[in-house]
Amino acid sequence: MTTGLRIFSLRTASLLLLVFLWWVGATLIHDPEILPGPLAVARDIAGILTSPGPEGESAWFDIGITLARIVVAFFAAMLAGIGLGLAMGLNRGFDRWMQAIIPALLTLPTILMVFLAVMWFGFSEGGGLVAVVVLVTPYVAVNIAEGARAMDKSLIDMAATFKAGRGLRLRRIYLPQLLPYIFSAFRYAFGMTWKIVALAETFGLKFGIGYMFSFWFNQFDMGRVLAWIILFVVLMLILEHGVFARLEASVFRWRAPAAAGRV
Amino acid sequence: MPSDQAIVRDVRAPATPAAVITVEKLTKRFPSPGGLAPFVVIEEMSVKVGDGEFVSIVGPSGCGKSTLLNVIAGIETYDSGTVTLSPKPGRGQTPPRVAYVFQTPRLLNWLTVRQNIEFVLEAQNIPRERWTGLVSEHLRLVGLAGQEDNYPLNLSGGMQQRVAIARALAIEPDILLMDEPFSHLDAITARKLRADLMAIMNRARPAILFVTHDLAEAVLLSDHIYMMETKPARIFKQVVVDIARPRSPEDERVFALERELMREFFSVLETKG
Repeated sequence: MTTGLRIFSLRTASLLLLVFLWWVGATLIHDPEILPGPLAVARDIAGILTSPGPEGESAWFDIGITLARIVVAFFAAMLAGIGLGLAMGLNRGFDRWMQAIIPALLTLPTILMVFLAVMWFGFSEGGGLVAVVVLVTPYVAVNIAEGARAMDKSLIDMAATFKAGRGLRLRRIYLPQLLPYIFSAFRYAFGMTWKIVALAETFGLKFGIGYMFSFWFNQFDMGRVLAWIILFVVLMLILEHGVFARLEASVFRWRAPAAAGRV
Repeated sequence: MPSDQAIVRDVRAPATPAAVITVEKLTKRFPSPGGLAPFVVIEEMSVKVGDGEFVSIVGPSGCGKSTLLNVIAGIETYDSGTVTLSPKPGRGQTPPRVAYVFQTPRLLNWLTVRQNIEFVLEAQNIPRERWTGLVSEHLRLVGLAGQEDNYPLNLSGGMQQRVAIARALAIEPDILLMDEPFSHLDAITARKLRADLMAIMNRARPAILFVTHDLAEAVLLSDHIYMMETKPARIFKQVVVDIARPRSPEDERVFALERELMREFFSVLETKG
């Protein structure tokens, strides 16, 4: 626990240093329209959270709608990616066929795809979803396919010699070997998803954190833009470290040998 | 029937026990790339293991020993010949239960020791109410009582191999296949495990087919030894190890037989140039 504590205090110190540098910069520039200081932005954050937004909605409504968009798009892309990846990893012919398409999708610039989705779907919810699925699914599929190909043949043979049935093999051998790949795809896909959703909200969708970026940007209110950016970053960090990291640690307990067991 | 079983368990294996593994004229080829003649891994090999017998196959690396075990275990195909597996006499278990101990433990590292053993119990459809008893009994047998809830990566290599042995024995096999199970361990751990294996065999008595390149190990453990040469892979000699048990690695007769067999290996190698 002492190392955990040390890492925590180190991170706090580096964050404080960043805020200090920001304060120094803001003081030197001395123009709140270019770079407002940390205190002014903190006041803006408080204002955002306590008073109604430009459409009369609460800030929590914008945060909630962004979260909902992220979660829906994320699971859609994960499901599509895992299905596609398994098919690629287990079926050679299909894999060759996809090898022609996947690289093309991987090179598609994110912002271009968001523009395309907005042009096709206008201001409806489908645009963000389609952009995420098209952009994120190939990354997930490539990862899962790699996991399916990297399965340990010697364990599959072991299961065969003991005559383990299909369901038992799936549950005890295939799935546990895929989990690390699913998790790394999870993290990457999540990071991509929130960036794409924020972008889609900025350019095409109504409500949400990205919509707030563009609204206050158009008002030339640098303080509020920065305030929303900070809210957004904090929210994503909480999800990343509070949810994913904990889930991962509990699933991969077996990886950290407890010295007590060694004789 | 129960009385038969009691006799089989207590008395040393009779001169010609009923065969549990019968391999006759087995031939296995691997196709060569580019339309060349296929590579013959095993050529017309015949091996017999009787109930309760410990039979070793000794030969240089790459002579097809592991392939033979894989064919018997049913995870590799063969081209001609017959492989017949029967249950222990008086047990009536059909098809016979086959367990395999590999060179490396091949444990599922994401499962506890208990779950690793339960994996094969479930695979073999052994009733769930027997699991707890079978797991603790066989962990005790290999000296790992109390490690049920530990994860394999917390154990040393020798302990992991013990778990693999407990896993194999837990299904109460008719046939136990062992592929150089001690070759990846340090000399001291390997020696300890060999001694333990001899003690365990006195109790469980499955028919054991043991593959090794270590002659001393084969002499110490076996009732019969098949000696294999390579290119072509075939058995050139069959030896009955007529040394009373319990045996010790220090036993003069074990040394003497090992030296004698080693000489034979070299003479076979020399005639081939």
